[in-house]
Amino acid sequence: MSVRPARWLFVWAALLVSNAAVPAQDPAAIEAPEAGIKAAYLYKFAAYVDWPGNAATGSQAFVIGVMDADDVAQELERIVPGRSVHDRPVEVRRVREGQSTAGLHMLFIGREGDVRTALRGPEQPGLLVVTDNPRGLELGSTINFVVAGEHLGFEVSLESAQRHGLRISSRMLNVARRVVPKA
Amino acid sequence: MNLLAHIGGSLRFRVMALVLATTVSALLLSAAGLVVYDLRAYERLWTNDLATTAEVLARSSAPALAFNDRRTAAGDLSVLKARNRVVAAALYTRDGELFATYVRAGAQAPAFPQHPQADAHFVEGGELVVLRRVVEGGEVIGTVYLRALFSPFERLRDYLLILGGVMVASLAAAAVFSSWLQDAVTRPILEVARVARGVMQTRDYSLRAPKTTEDEIGQLVDAFNAMLAEAGRRAEAMREADRRKDEFLATLAHELRNPLAPLRNALEILRVAGDDPQRAQKAREMMQRQLAQMVRLVDDLLDVSRITTGKLAVRKGAVELQGIVRDALESVRHFIESRRHVLELQLAPEPIMVDADRTRLAQVFSNLLNNAAKYTPPGGHISLVVEREGQEGVVRVRDTGIGIASDSMAAIFDMFVQLDRSLERSQAGLGVGLTLARRLVQLHGGELSVHSEGPGRGSEFVVRLPLGPAAPSSQPRAPAEALPAPLARRILIADDNVDYASSMGQLLQAKGHDVRVVHDGAQALETAVQFRPDVAFLDIGMPRIHGYELARRLRAQPLTARCLLVAVTGWGQEDDRRRAREAGFDRHLVKPVELPQVEAVIDSIPVSTL
Repeated sequence: MSVRPARWLFVWAALLVSNAAVPAQDPAAIEAPEAGIKAAYLYKFAAYVDWPGNAATGSQAFVIGVMDADDVAQELERIVPGRSVHDRPVEVRRVREGQSTAGLHMLFIGREGDVRTALRGPEQPGLLVVTDNPRGLELGSTINFVVAGEHLGFEVSLESAQRHGLRISSRMLNVARRVVPKA
Repeated sequence: MNLLAHIGGSLRFRVMALVLATTVSALLLSAAGLVVYDLRAYERLWTNDLATTAEVLARSSAPALAFNDRRTAAGDLSVLKARNRVVAAALYTRDGELFATYVRAGAQAPAFPQHPQADAHFVEGGELVVLRRVVEGGEVIGTVYLRALFSPFERLRDYLLILGGVMVASLAAAAVFSSWLQDAVTRPILEVARVARGVMQTRDYSLRAPKTTEDEIGQLVDAFNAMLAEAGRRAEAMREADRRKDEFLATLAHELRNPLAPLRNALEILRVAGDDPQRAQKAREMMQRQLAQMVRLVDDLLDVSRITTGKLAVRKGAVELQGIVRDALESVRHFIESRRHVLELQLAPEPIMVDADRTRLAQVFSNLLNNAAKYTPPGGHISLVVEREGQEGVVRVRDTGIGIASDSMAAIFDMFVQLDRSLERSQAGLGVGLTLARRLVQLHGGELSVHSEGPGRGSEFVVRLPLGPAAPSSQPRAPAEALPAPLARRILIADDNVDYASSMGQLLQAKGHDVRVVHDGAQALETAVQFRPDVAFLDIGMPRIHGYELARRLRAQPLTARCLLVAVTGWGQEDDRRRAREAGFDRHLVKPVELPQVEAVIDSIPVSTL
C-alpha cells in the first residue's frame, strides 16, 4: 500500500489549526450550541401549542419576541426563514425591558432577564411566555428550560397556560420534566 | 359412481359414502379457496396493520424526538409489548442515528440498520420490516423502524388444524344426518328389495311393498306392486292354462280310448257272426259311428294345433250362406232329432252371398247347432235364422237350454273351456269348438257373439259375416249328381302306412279300379314305370325316395309324365302346397284322406286321357 505524503501533511496541519483555535473563541461562541438548541425548541414549541382564535389568526406573521438573549435571537433568526408556524411565516423581534409585548405570540426571556419585572402588569392573553430561569414557572411563565444532566429539558405550567388562554398538546406534556397542573 | 359401486354391498353404505364424500369434497374445496385467498391477503393486511402502528408510533414519539427525550421515546416504544408479534422497534433521529430501541422480552435483538431508508416495507428473514418517517410541522424529524413476525406457514398450519376440526365435526354431523335420511330414502327401497326377495323365494305374488312416500320412490313402490300384481295374474293364468291343458289331455285320452272298445267288440262280432248278415250289418254301423266320432276328435285336435301355431287358414270363394247352413244342418240333424228337439228354421228367401270357405263355415254352424242340441235338455226348442242385415249376413242359433252365467260369458270362447262337466263324455268333445268357431269367423272378417239371459234361460249365438260379391254362380256343390257308372282306372298308391295303403287299395279295387299298392319311394318309381297309372297317390314322407323327388322323376319319365300326381301330406300349409306344385304334383290332399276325397280326384280325371 502506497501512502502519499501530501495527504498526511494536510491532516496534520488541520489538527494543529483546530487545537490552536479552541482557546481563542469568546464565551458567547462557546454557548452557541446551547443557544441553538434553545432556539430550535422555541420554534418547535409553537407546533404543540394552540392559540386562542384571534391571537393565532389576527396578524400575518407569527411573532416571537426575544428578551435578554441575543444569542438565542440570533440563532432563531438563522432558523426561521422559509419556515412557518401554523401556516404563517415566522418573525423574530428583539424586545427590551419595558417595551410593549403587544403583537407577540411568544416571548422568550433569557437567563439574565428579570422575569418578575418583565411579567409585571396585566397578563396578555395569547402570549406564550418561555423562561430560562430556575424559578421561571413560579414567576408566571408557561414554559421554562431546565438542564438535567447533559440534556436540555423543559417544564410546563398548565395553570399559566390557562391564564393566558393557551392549550398545550398532551404529546408535548409527555416530554416535559415537570408539569404544574391547572388551578 | 364406479368408485361407489365398489364400496360395500348395501345401499345404506353407499348412500352414507355418497354423503360423506360430498361433504369432504365440499369442505376441502371451500377450505382451499379460503386459504388461497387468506394467504394472498395476509401480507397486505399485516403490512397495512404494521404501517398503521408505525404511523401511530411516529406521531406519539414525535415530541420525544423533537425535544431529544430518549427516555420518553423508549417509553413510547414499550407500548409495543401489547403487540406480541412485533419483535423489535427503533426510533432514529433526523440524521439517521439510533435514538431509542425496543426488543420484545425473550427475543434476540436484531441488527438495527444504520441510516435506514424512509417509508418502506419488506420481508427479511421471515420477518416483516416497516419503516416510517416521523414528520412534525411539515419537517422530517426522524424514522420509526418496526420488525414483526411474518409466518404465512404458521397461519396455514393454523388453518389446517381448524379445517381438520371442522371436517371431523362435519363428517360426524353428515353421518348422523345421512343415517337419519335413510328412513326417508333407502328404507322404502330396502323394503322393496326385501319384498322382491320374499317373492322370489316363496313365489307368493300376493306380497306388497308398503308405500310411505308420494315421491319417485312412492311411484317406484306403486310400479313394483303393480308389476307384482301383473306377475301374479300371469302366473295364475299360466296355472289355469296348464290345468286346462292337463284336463284337455285327460279328456283327449279318454275320448280317443272310448270308441276303441266298441270297435274291438264289433270286430269280434263280425268274426263270429259269419253268415248272419243282420248282426254283421249292425256291427258295421256301430264301427262307422265310433270311427266318425274318432275322426271328429282328431280333426278337432288338428285344428287346435293349427290355432295355437297360428296356421289356421281358410280358402275363400263366393258362396251362398243358406247353402252352407243347410250343409251344416244336415250333419247335425240326426243328433237334434235323437234329442227330440223341435227345430225352427227361417231362411231368407233371396240368396245371401258371402266370400267364404264353405267347409270351414259349415264347420262353424254345425258346431253351434251341435252345442245347442247338446246343452239343451231333451225336448227343447232350437231356432236357426239366416237373414240379411244391411251389409251383413247374419246367422242366429237360439236354444232353450242351460244358458250361460254372465260372468262366464267371455270365458266360453277360451280354449279347453267346457261349461257343463256333468255331461256324459260321449257328448263332451274336447272343449275347442267355440274357440275354433270364433277364430274361423274372424278369419272371414266377421264376428261371433253370444247372448244369454242367465243360467237356465237359454242362449243365442250370432254370426255376422260381411257380404261378398253378389254374383250367384253355379256352385261346385253338385259333382255327385247324375253319376255315370265309374270308369275303371289304373291307380298307384304309395304310402309307408301299410294298413292305410292296403285298405284304401282294397276299397278302390272293390269299386272296380286296377290298383297297385307300394310302401316306399323306390318301389313306387319302379312300379309306376311298368304299370303306367292314370293317377298316383304319393305320400311325401316315404323311405328311400321321398315324395317330392319321386314326383320329379316321374315327370321326367316319358311313360309317366302325363300321370295325375296327388301329394298326400300331414300338413296343408301354403308352403307345403307350393313345394308340391314345384315338384310337379297336380293335387294336394291333407291326411287323413278318406274315400270320398280319393273318389272325387279319380272322377275328375278327364275322359280324354284314357
